[in-house]
Amino acid sequence: MRKVTSILAVTLYATIILLPLYLALQRLVWVTGFSPFEWIDSLNNNYISQGVIEFTVIQAIFSTVFTLLIGIPIAWTLGRYKWPFESFIRTILTMPFVIPSIIAAMGILTIVGHQGLNLRTNESTWWWTLIVSHAWFNMALVIRFCEPVLSTLDPELEEQLRLLPNGQSRFSRLRNLWLPLLTPSIIAAACMTFVFSFTSFALVRWITVGNNTLESMMADVSSSAGIKGYMESTSKIVMGASVIQFSILLFSLWITSVIQRKRQAKLPQSSPLHSQKKNSRGWLILIPAIGFALLPLISVGIGSFRIRESIDDEIRFRWGLEGWYLAFEGSYSFPPLIDAMLNSLGYAIITLFVALPLGYLLASTIHDLENKNKRMARVLDIFTMLPFALSAAMIGLGVLLGIIKLDVSSAYNFWPLPSLAHIMLTTPFVVRIILPTIRSLDDKYDENARVLGIKKFKRFFKIKLPLIKGSIIIATIFTLAMSLGEFGASFIVARNSDWTTLPLLIDSWRAKPMKDPLTSPASNAVATVLMLITMALFIFAERFRTNRDGGMF
Amino acid sequence: MLECEGLSKSFEKNLFKDLNLNLKSGEIIAIVGPSGCGKTTLLRCICGLETLDSGTIKLGGIDITDTRAEERGIGMIFQKPVLYPHLSVSGNLSLASKFGHDKALEEVSLSGFGSRAIDKLSGGEGQRIALARALLANPKVLLLDEPFSAIDSELSKKLISDVRDVLKKRKCPSILVTHNKEEAELFSDRIVNLSSHSKSNHSL
Repeated sequence: MRKVTSILAVTLYATIILLPLYLALQRLVWVTGFSPFEWIDSLNNNYISQGVIEFTVIQAIFSTVFTLLIGIPIAWTLGRYKWPFESFIRTILTMPFVIPSIIAAMGILTIVGHQGLNLRTNESTWWWTLIVSHAWFNMALVIRFCEPVLSTLDPELEEQLRLLPNGQSRFSRLRNLWLPLLTPSIIAAACMTFVFSFTSFALVRWITVGNNTLESMMADVSSSAGIKGYMESTSKIVMGASVIQFSILLFSLWITSVIQRKRQAKLPQSSPLHSQKKNSRGWLILIPAIGFALLPLISVGIGSFRIRESIDDEIRFRWGLEGWYLAFEGSYSFPPLIDAMLNSLGYAIITLFVALPLGYLLASTIHDLENKNKRMARVLDIFTMLPFALSAAMIGLGVLLGIIKLDVSSAYNFWPLPSLAHIMLTTPFVVRIILPTIRSLDDKYDENARVLGIKKFKRFFKIKLPLIKGSIIIATIFTLAMSLGEFGASFIVARNSDWTTLPLLIDSWRAKPMKDPLTSPASNAVATVLMLITMALFIFAERFRTNRDGGMF
Repeated sequence: MLECEGLSKSFEKNLFKDLNLNLKSGEIIAIVGPSGCGKTTLLRCICGLETLDSGTIKLGGIDITDTRAEERGIGMIFQKPVLYPHLSVSGNLSLASKFGHDKALEEVSLSGFGSRAIDKLSGGEGQRIALARALLANPKVLLLDEPFSAIDSELSKKLISDVRDVLKKRKCPSILVTHNKEEAELFSDRIVNLSSHSKSNHSL
């Protein structure tokens, strides 16, 4: 029975997740021919993609360095000392990462755009705005990777070092204890920050002035890709961008996984109950950090009430609810907020109903194979991680070219279709969240229940499920939140206006000409609703997160 | 009651080969031997958690060699008490039977412990609860895999004598596995040494 469910899970995974990608790849190769070097070369020859690689790489490097510069001191301060409302502070500081990127874009745009400080006047300003935005978005990664190492380390390790000749100064302790312990976490966080900045879409789309990363460029040209005899050059640049993006993501994720494994092996036993010192000077870092984390989020809310008007060439601002009314009513071009919310919830629920059981079955299959056939377990493990090396736009293109373009008219009438992209994106995360919990379950629990005569079905519901409940809840919340906030893939897939989700509605409102004074308040109103839903989900999830999960969200 | 014939099991080395074992109704035996000689594996094969390479196991004359662990009617107590942390003492007992908790707790001298959380139990109390739960399931045979080894010696002597009394009162045939000869003498009617029989073709 277990074998049958395992085979079913693997087959379903291959069909739902890998088949669309394979079909999309097959279509693109059919259009362009198989010539990887020509694909990559076409990125420099096509005016749409010229300079995109350089921009993508340079902004990702700058973003990574800047994120580490602000993230490490925050992680150090938070992890090394005792703070009142510590878990609340941690939640606030890590919130930016779990907020959908389109909301981050709206928040930052509200601060630096026409509605706020009006800083987006020249290239260097928006360039640094983009870097700071990526740092805002990713600093949580640095905190989540580094802070548990600092907060749970046995204090005797440092106390002992203080009594030794090579540990008497702060610098020597940093060199001999903290740096060796923290370096793997810092590198892992840097790799992940680089990946997220490299594949940035919503922030690049809204903060830069027409510049593209490989990701946003792929999204822009997606509609004309994969058509034989029509703009075949776009298919080539999509292939070139995909090859580069896949290679970079795969390499970064490989480094992260190697470092994570070494890091786990190197970490000394934790002692979460040790008493930490207070440090009032630490507030000098924490208060600005909290402000930095909250400012764009608060700005989204405030921006929904702030209406910019131009009267006789004079710009004035007033407060009002018109943005909210418009968002709820909709317009000739855009659906009401409730319709978009129902679409988003519908897609999120479909995603949950497929991704959660599928992810659980895959995790269980990997765990079973680890006891019987380690090589097969490793193959399946890598197989389930493969979508991590694909960006949201690549997944979106997979669904568009692999499924929709097979039969466009039928596909555009099939409302649940965007959830396919969401399932492809979320299932690997479900596996990653549930697998460590299943691995950590003592086999004796099941064995003992068996010798008590308890049948398989009852064992699952009475014993296994309650023991893995925490990770199931986190996976559920993660799946719902990821699907609700998903933008990159939905932007490519959801071409029917009846499929508009909350992130797409935010994007649509914001894309209206700024002459309309309600453009920005309406988009911020929709963003506020999505932000509140996401925040509520993650504050709830925080109760089930363990302190040493090191980077898990 | 329990008849094991020609049992063989090997992993990387031969643990036991052509091993015969008979357990009479109400009898308590102890199997002793050094670490790694296959004591625990033998118990796991008898209760069905491991499959045998060859041999047959009969319980009350019925061949149970290929019967699943949950259907054999053989109970087992592990070295460390396996109690489910998400359930109270009573919740753990409910996994064996919904009724008779008070009597079972009284039998192991832990009356009133029903509502207690698992993390509030000492090692000895935990093992008593595991015994109460195993007995509540009314096993035809009870296997005990070094259940007293993690408890300090004074407490373990008392626990050994209490558990033996309970098993004798219930006439529950049992097999204790231990590396401690003193423990084996205190607990069992008969002691067999697995290491001296483990090469091949021996009866215990």
